[in-house]
Amino acid sequence: MKDLILIFISTLLINNLVLSYFLGICPFLGVSGKIESAFGMGMAVTFVMTLATSISWLIYNLILVKFGLFYLEYVVFILVIASLVQIVEMFIRKYSSSLYQSLGIYLPLITTNCAILGSALFMVTRNYKFLEAVVFGFSGGLGFSLVLLIMAGIREELQYVNVPKVFRGASLTLITASLLALIFMGFSGLISS
Amino acid sequence: MKEIIIPTIVLGLAGLAFSILLALLSKKLKVEENPQVRKILELLPGLNCGACGFSGCRAYAEAATKERSTFSGCLPAGEEVNKKIAEALDLTGCVSSSAKVVICHCSAKSKEKKASSKYIGPNDCRSANISSGVIDCAYGCLALGDCINVCPTNALELKDQAIQVDFKKCIGCGKCLKACPRNLFELVPIKNNLPVYNIACANKETALAVKKVCSKGCTGCTLCTRVENSPYQMKDNLSTLDYNKPNDPTSLEQGRSKCPTKCIIKIS
Repeated sequence: MKDLILIFISTLLINNLVLSYFLGICPFLGVSGKIESAFGMGMAVTFVMTLATSISWLIYNLILVKFGLFYLEYVVFILVIASLVQIVEMFIRKYSSSLYQSLGIYLPLITTNCAILGSALFMVTRNYKFLEAVVFGFSGGLGFSLVLLIMAGIREELQYVNVPKVFRGASLTLITASLLALIFMGFSGLISS
Repeated sequence: MKEIIIPTIVLGLAGLAFSILLALLSKKLKVEENPQVRKILELLPGLNCGACGFSGCRAYAEAATKERSTFSGCLPAGEEVNKKIAEALDLTGCVSSSAKVVICHCSAKSKEKKASSKYIGPNDCRSANISSGVIDCAYGCLALGDCINVCPTNALELKDQAIQVDFKKCIGCGKCLKACPRNLFELVPIKNNLPVYNIACANKETALAVKKVCSKGCTGCTLCTRVENSPYQMKDNLSTLDYNKPNDPTSLEQGRSKCPTKCIIKIS
């Protein structure tokens, strides 16, 4: 239990996938314009990441390890993520059209989100057990949503500020992102072993 | 040989398993889309301008099929398409909108409208209107482009601080009417490519107050209303036109040429 809580906190804050591994930067900069869409994207990523890491764990440990095909992990994980996103999209569309309308456009984006492939690969290199992998995927997704929401909040406020011309647009967004990453570095001493 | 065959088989089987799963699920979880919705979507111009009151063309098509009504119709599509939509819904005899374009009731250029103070703040008309420091005229165009930002077809353009409407691009969706904090826009019918006469001033003050802030404003001199069969009418120190009536082109032109400040403009 202690291990699980440690994994949860460390992936949520300390080893945040976006701000300390710089994975999933594309949606982090692209979908953080509005809090509403950032929340939708964050929830969709959390959902898919949890499922993707757990199913990838099953396939990796039950099939790939058995045949000694460790080098196939990249191809197989991408296969899993892509089909998973498709299946999730179909399920949501069938059973909850309101959820589909709010998440629908973000789901195809997730297929190419490297944070999800990253979390599946980290899960392998860190030799997680099944439950640990599930918690890792879930907290990784939550960490992604957290950072996305913070960024969206800041960017919404920035619209009301008179920004100097040189900093407008992408440059200010990148500076904000780097400052956020610096702030998240402050969490690095949170857990001492 | 074994090193090649096993990964090939494993990867092939995994791919096959996932594709079969996807194919089965896509059949089982298929969502039936109403063919009527698709038909209406094909008829609609697909601008997603929102003039109908729905969030976009798809939302309009879905609501129209569900409620079996064309609501207010599609403004940019024009009469013919609206008739076709009504036919697709088995609703005949539905009224549709005729073509309308938007005009801006201020055409003063940067040198014509006086500005005695400098505005520093958020770069949009809505905020500037609160402080009213951009220009001295409390009715005129602030020229910060809120209307340009909402225009779905790029029909509006700022030329030397004055808004110009491209009638070829304007679809009459009326989004700029809501965006302008000074209510300078008006939707007017356009018929047979006749020129539209626009009283390009909205200042309701008396002549002296108008002259103080703008060299192009309507002073309320009533010269345009004194021509024969004049379509122009005075209201609140301002000349107005009733666009819903057919107006005589010659008297319109005569009234325009009489205007001492040249604030009646002809747009074709």
